[in-house]
Amino acid sequence: MTTVAVAAPRRRAAVPASLHPFRSGAGAHLLVVDGSRVFDIDDELYSALVDAVAADLDPLRDPDLAQAFGMTGRPVVGSEPLAPPPVTALSLNVVHACNLACTYCYADGGDFGGPSLRMAEGTAERAVRMLVEGAEPGARVHVAFLGGEPLLHRSLVRHATEHARRLGAERGVATTFAITTNGTLVTSEDAAFFGEHAFAVTVSVDGVGDAHNGLRPTRAGRPTYDGIARGLGALLAAGVRPHARVTVTPRNLHLRSTLVGLLDAGFTSVGFSPMLASPTGADELSPADLVTFLDEMVECARLFEDAVLAGKELGFANAATALQEIHRGTARPYACGAGAGYLSVGAEGSLSACHRFVNEPAGAMGSLDAGVDDERRARWLAGRHVHRQQPCAGCWARYLCGGGCHHEVLARGRPACEYVLGWLDHCLGMYVRLLDARPDWFAGGGPGR
Amino acid sequence: MADDRAPRIRPRNLSARVVGNPPTSTADDAVANCYPGLELDVRNLDRRFFPGLVVDFVARDDNESPYSQPEIYGGLVRYVDFSDPDLTDDPADPTAHRALDEVRKALVAALAANGDSLGAGGWYLDWVEQAGRRIGFRGHEGSGITYLDGLFVWRIVRGLDPVDRVSAGRPSAREGNLVTVGLVHRPSGETLTLRGWRRRFTDPVTGVISLAYQPGELLQSLCSPWQHDFRDCGCHYWAANHPDVVFGEVRAGEQELPDGSPVQSERAQTLIDWLRADRDPRRAAAAREYVDFNRPYQLDFFQINHAWQDLAFVVDGTEIGDEFVPDHAPPSPRPFGSPGELAAVLRDQLAPLELTLALEYLYARFSVLEPDEAAALLPGTTLADDVTFVRHFLLLTAVSEMQHLRNANLLLRLLHEHGLVPGPFEPVTRPSPTVPGPGGGRRRERSLRPLTLHVIEDFIAIERPDATIDATYERVAATLAQPEYPRDLSQIGERILKDGNDHYSRFRDLHRVLRQSYGENEPWLRPLRAGTPDECATSLDLVRRIVAGLDDAYRDEATSRYTPARKHLTGARLAMDELEREGQALARCGIGICFWDAW
Repeated sequence: MTTVAVAAPRRRAAVPASLHPFRSGAGAHLLVVDGSRVFDIDDELYSALVDAVAADLDPLRDPDLAQAFGMTGRPVVGSEPLAPPPVTALSLNVVHACNLACTYCYADGGDFGGPSLRMAEGTAERAVRMLVEGAEPGARVHVAFLGGEPLLHRSLVRHATEHARRLGAERGVATTFAITTNGTLVTSEDAAFFGEHAFAVTVSVDGVGDAHNGLRPTRAGRPTYDGIARGLGALLAAGVRPHARVTVTPRNLHLRSTLVGLLDAGFTSVGFSPMLASPTGADELSPADLVTFLDEMVECARLFEDAVLAGKELGFANAATALQEIHRGTARPYACGAGAGYLSVGAEGSLSACHRFVNEPAGAMGSLDAGVDDERRARWLAGRHVHRQQPCAGCWARYLCGGGCHHEVLARGRPACEYVLGWLDHCLGMYVRLLDARPDWFAGGGPGR
Repeated sequence: MADDRAPRIRPRNLSARVVGNPPTSTADDAVANCYPGLELDVRNLDRRFFPGLVVDFVARDDNESPYSQPEIYGGLVRYVDFSDPDLTDDPADPTAHRALDEVRKALVAALAANGDSLGAGGWYLDWVEQAGRRIGFRGHEGSGITYLDGLFVWRIVRGLDPVDRVSAGRPSAREGNLVTVGLVHRPSGETLTLRGWRRRFTDPVTGVISLAYQPGELLQSLCSPWQHDFRDCGCHYWAANHPDVVFGEVRAGEQELPDGSPVQSERAQTLIDWLRADRDPRRAAAAREYVDFNRPYQLDFFQINHAWQDLAFVVDGTEIGDEFVPDHAPPSPRPFGSPGELAAVLRDQLAPLELTLALEYLYARFSVLEPDEAAALLPGTTLADDVTFVRHFLLLTAVSEMQHLRNANLLLRLLHEHGLVPGPFEPVTRPSPTVPGPGGGRRRERSLRPLTLHVIEDFIAIERPDATIDATYERVAATLAQPEYPRDLSQIGERILKDGNDHYSRFRDLHRVLRQSYGENEPWLRPLRAGTPDECATSLDLVRRIVAGLDDAYRDEATSRYTPARKHLTGARLAMDELEREGQALARCGIGICFWDAW
């Protein structure tokens, strides 16, 4: 009996959420937090579980329910921190400088608050060698080019790419590449090169036309959208399918028009990132802005859902990614691979947990000279485990969210939890609806990804 | 969803749909052990712990290493496997360790130079060393050398750390994990040292088992309960579960007694060995009382692989032939006309009857000797074992009737809750004054009686699948299966129905076995008379406590107060234990509890 199941567990203080009942319009469902498992449940069980959660009870302490939800083994996610794994992804900050002056840039306009630097060829070669030689034959490694604006040092991008290709071929290691650019300097030669090496190209763009220009001007204050449009044309002509990354500030909160506009402009997919922490505090989203942001995201998700239901593609990356992760049952105790399988190389050869921690001692992970500092990585992974974060340790979304961007959390805490929970709850409902209507969408990995 | 009986929990995403072991399962979670088991003998992994060597751990308990030969115990090198992927640099194999090239080349050379000798036998692990620590496998006892048992050697080998994954720039860590093994030839004393590493049994990323293991190698030495181990497997694993003794087949046309047994009384009471090698029915002799005595006449290991199809199906303890004809054709039960009629049957007939039967069975149980009394009465016989079985069975059956009482109350309550019958729910916790007669005949007065053969026959008649109670439950289930009744109700109805059949066949076996063993003597009985209310005051008090506890619990459940309900149920259960002890003490004085006086 449902009611018995809920009456049985003992009350204890601050029970970490073990489940999250939710509704989709297609009925009642349950997310079992460990292993991110999704079930359909009936209304009776739903009400009982909602009551239990409200009373701070853990229904999964009932052995019958635990059995029914496959919770009899060891937890999928334990509290044991990840031991530093082999590094399989590096980003190269090829130049600490940028031709734009975005108000909120985490790299302080590209130079990370320090002098402008350009990565030497030797530095890039050593970084690439460390990555490829550390991999087992048959493995796959990933190189991402960042800046500043990496195309201010395009010769190095090309050199490092070709070097990695050569080394990888020698050792039987597959290499993949990505670049994040502001899009204003992309030439047709660049685009052809990206196409040849199957680059994943991400263009930072905050809207269409003036919406973008206000946030991402050149250092001289000039608009940049037209330049991006030219770069986009070159990319499309070379067969590259670029992704737009939109940083959302209080000044470009109209997500729906941005999404539609950028897709119309030719981007394959669009992803939104809320601006939560900038070095100067400029253009950060306020709590009220975050409420609007969630509403706008849900609006975009509805657009996306309607499109999928109609058998069309709509490249809303946030939704597509969330759906695929929910479908797989992604359950991870970290928000990202920073400091684990992913490290970032500064222009002068420093190693950091990720590109946002370049020149910041908190995320320092050694250097190409001294090698990867595995002790620091181990400490980092122990400290960043979501079970060590508050209020994350008790949150139902802890293994889907992972605790949030380490850099933002260390800078500003967690101002966006309400947004994250609202967004995931919406995506869970959307997931069940689409799984019923378009199971093929999930089987194929989803379009536009 | 069109089907209102679909399960109320349905897994949706991939992680919820994973069938079988949870994704975090590891080999260590298995029931596996280092004796022949059912899933994995972990020694089969460790026998290839060192690249190129295949080692068997010879232990005292093995079939081929008797207590008298301790000199053959230890880690015995069987042969050198030059095709071991750890020895090659084939990049296709994820477990190959290219960075250990130098060590690997030296190891290959050493194995090549000594391979023939190592494969010829007599070479044992003498010591292992890792990270500067060495453990030896030899000891000295007095003037002689003793060898560590293979299981101990295995345990030490199992503790070695695997070689590190080849990762960026940590050669020192890898060096530290290298393993050196010392081998010694018995009895010549010749030695050989090899340097290598402890194999990674599975790829750390994909979990793929090292290609060093040949198909079937990891399963060797495991039980085959589906094949020849079927005969002797004693672990009651389902695949090997089978009856020891059965009653012989009743052939078509053969006259049967009303309880379904053959007319010929000798056959009716002769248990034969189910695994008998001689399958001729004319020569079926009575099975002897211990499995070991019957062994010589059973199918042997080899035979059983070929004779599976000759083993008979067994229904209710009796072998059946090619065609099974149920001894009663169940008529389609007729649903009750209305929820009101159903509720009346539950309230006035079934629930009270369950309580009456539970107490009749319990009383009969107190009339059966305890094992120590039986052993003293007829030493050297199986009476003590038989009374243990009888008492256990009667207790189980009484408990089961109490469960039925609970279910009947639950059904009643749900009928009220769903608004199918008007008014508030009132629990039923009074026993019925009468019990249905056999074959739907005249009802008899409820009666507290010792467990004579005659009384067992009466119990069989009550529990018979086509008798009144069962037929009534079939009608209950048929009523609840109708679409106007909620799904949870019909499931409870079906559950009670299934349980009743078990009582019938168990009582029947009980009757057969007791009658066959002891004839009409009934030596299991103790003198017992129903006590007076004064004599039984404590017990009656306990009965009242139990009934009041159940009554309270059912009422609490009806108002969703589960925590107090649980408390009341626990209290009732504790009182039941006490009643058992109290009833036993009275029984030893020849007094049975006058249960009906509790009301």
